[in-house]
Amino acid sequence: MAIPAEKIESFEPRITAFVCNWCTYTGADLAGTSRLQMDPNVRIIRLPCTGRIDPLFIVKAFERGADGVIVSGCHPADCHYTSGNYHARRRFALFKELLEFVGVEPGRVTFSWVSASEGQKWREVVNDATARVRELGPFERYRALAGRPA
Amino acid sequence: MKELRDLARTLLADGAVKVVIGYEEGPRGVRPAFITRPEHAERLIFDARCTHCLPAYLSPRRTHVAALGKPAVVVKGCDARAVAGLIREAQLAREDVVVIGVRCGGVTGDPTVAELASGTVAPRCDACDAREPKLADHVVGPALPAPPASDQPDMLARLEGMSAAERWEFWQEAFSRCVRCNACRQACPMCFCERCVADKTQPAWIESSPHGRGNLAWHLTRAIHQAGRCVACGECQRACPADIPLGLLNKKLAHVVAERFGYRAGDDPAVPAPVGAFRLDDAQEFIR
Amino acid sequence: MTGARTITHDNLAALVADLAAAGTRVTAPARGADGKVDYRPIASLAEAALGAELPRRSLKEFFLPASEPLFSWRQEGAKVDLRAVPTEFPPHLVLGARPCDAAAVEILDHVMGWDYRDELWFGRRAATTIATLACPGVDGSCFCTATGRGPESTKGSDLMLYPIDGGYLVEVVTPKGDALVTAHAARFISASDASRPVSPDPGPRTPDPASLPMPAIAEWLARNFEHELWRDIALRCHGCGACASVCPTCHCFDIVDEPEGVTEGTRRRNWDTCQTGLFTLHASGHNPRRDQHARIRQRVTHKFSIYPAKFGEVLCTGCGRCARACPGGMDLPEILGRIAALAGAASGPEAAV
Repeated sequence: MAIPAEKIESFEPRITAFVCNWCTYTGADLAGTSRLQMDPNVRIIRLPCTGRIDPLFIVKAFERGADGVIVSGCHPADCHYTSGNYHARRRFALFKELLEFVGVEPGRVTFSWVSASEGQKWREVVNDATARVRELGPFERYRALAGRPA
Repeated sequence: MKELRDLARTLLADGAVKVVIGYEEGPRGVRPAFITRPEHAERLIFDARCTHCLPAYLSPRRTHVAALGKPAVVVKGCDARAVAGLIREAQLAREDVVVIGVRCGGVTGDPTVAELASGTVAPRCDACDAREPKLADHVVGPALPAPPASDQPDMLARLEGMSAAERWEFWQEAFSRCVRCNACRQACPMCFCERCVADKTQPAWIESSPHGRGNLAWHLTRAIHQAGRCVACGECQRACPADIPLGLLNKKLAHVVAERFGYRAGDDPAVPAPVGAFRLDDAQEFIR
Repeated sequence: MTGARTITHDNLAALVADLAAAGTRVTAPARGADGKVDYRPIASLAEAALGAELPRRSLKEFFLPASEPLFSWRQEGAKVDLRAVPTEFPPHLVLGARPCDAAAVEILDHVMGWDYRDELWFGRRAATTIATLACPGVDGSCFCTATGRGPESTKGSDLMLYPIDGGYLVEVVTPKGDALVTAHAARFISASDASRPVSPDPGPRTPDPASLPMPAIAEWLARNFEHELWRDIALRCHGCGACASVCPTCHCFDIVDEPEGVTEGTRRRNWDTCQTGLFTLHASGHNPRRDQHARIRQRVTHKFSIYPAKFGEVLCTGCGRCARACPGGMDLPEILGRIAALAGAASGPEAAV
């Protein structure tokens, strides 16, 4: 689908981040309290654990207008609940392949481990994801999937 | 055939089971049969048209079948994986079912087509290593020769060779035919949830509308929920009145599961499913 | 109404081109990307597959789409802005409909215009002219003659086409059909003496449609709400809606509100089916049709007892799609045959199964 040029020029990606409470959320908080400058395109949704993140959350984010999604949690061996991130790792290894198989560009979804002390890494994850989604452009073709009265 | 009928008759006459779930001649090809009287065992047949995966009828949500009492089920070697799956996921106790394995020479994938040829054989029969059924209490029938190799194009390879945009177009065209009749879910032996997430309305995680958005959410969910669970019986695709190539989604994920986790949905109920398990050293190259 | 005419293939192609150029949507059986025939929009006659196999889905989606918006809303503070959908539609020609599919649309007019006149249904009906092709015959699952239809049934059609050498014999059925022929009179040749070709013999079928007496079946259904037949046939039913989705007369729908963001959303009407548990599930958790046999009973009883009692004709045109589509091998003609046998037996001394 052709997207009008002016829409691309003024495009600011909307990125939804699903993060765990114990590591990445705290890491993002550290980035904030450290006054690190980063792209303002990411909206964070805090969950107890990456093990709580259902693939449908990603689907719903795209349905409701996200151009990109970040999923981030504790490094292996650091999970507050011991193994939630290990389960998430298997689940998202599969879901990532499935999304690509139905034609979603790989750059739309970013997975990362960001610990409570990695404010700097969170900034890099956010800036990189924003740059990639900016390049891919608005996810119009997902939003256009359901027609509605004009 | 006689061996199968004799066994069914004996199981019913002895009271070992209350129903034998097998195959019979229907008005339009072969169809599932539910034999409850020894004298009806004559109706049972087995041939290349018997493509249905009958363990679907062992799910606890099949209330009418369950009400008949203890079942015996006729399975091909591939179908035995569905029995194993139900046991693995605590939907069925091994002692609550009598498994009648039939030696298989391949099926056509269409209950109305009897002739096995390269153009008719079900693609899943290619390189089948389960023609001698495992997990069975009884194995019947003569050993049959392997079926001809399928000449169907390898759609998975074709799709993997496409760009993301081309794959998107392919699936959107296919999903546009979906009217959410749920035949894919209902015919699946491994879709046994008491309440499907697609039936939940508050909140409606999956929109029930058969528009592109709702259909994509549904088919992604069905596929991911079947990852590591799907036994590749092909029933979802056969059941689909819109001929959507749903088996491709399952096949893709089965490949990923095999490559990443070294797992294949097999006929040993004791091997844990790959989703729900993990290894400390699972590959994580996609996570930064 | 005027007499018979003929139209050559070339003139039919030219007629389609004329109509398309003038803004009329033209729909015909045509092959899609997967090689299967469905009713599809065509831009030229070359795309059509007239007289090919029975289209996978019926015509009903052109009058009751599988999912259609009813309105959308946008909220700003206390102000709610509603945007309605149009109820008037551009002109539409269905070319090469099956008699069973055309008849279904007219049968559904009863329920769509009964206590409430469905504007969307009748808006599309008013805009659409149906040119039906006499049935070339299908297979052993057809039982249209049992439902009062047949390969030359004109019910629901505005024009009837019969294949002849080099083109079609055209018979006008309704004023709407006449208007189309009159407006494009130059494309047609008057042929008042032309005789219809003989319809092909559909071949033997089990049960024989002639052995399915609709009144006796309706009466049996009204008296046998509880009967072991229902539990017996429910065994192999998967409880999906494949049958209803391909059925030309199943018309039940669900209405959902779908939010699209916090302040916007759309109300939609979607196909639904009595074959699922969710169809009758109450908010309390109670389900009056808890088990599959009750749902199958509903489908059969609605089609062959309730609808004829209310509107005077059965809610089925015998297209056989349900039997072809069913992954579990459920077979409506067979079920009707069993009911007919039970109805016959009920009057005799042996009223057992």
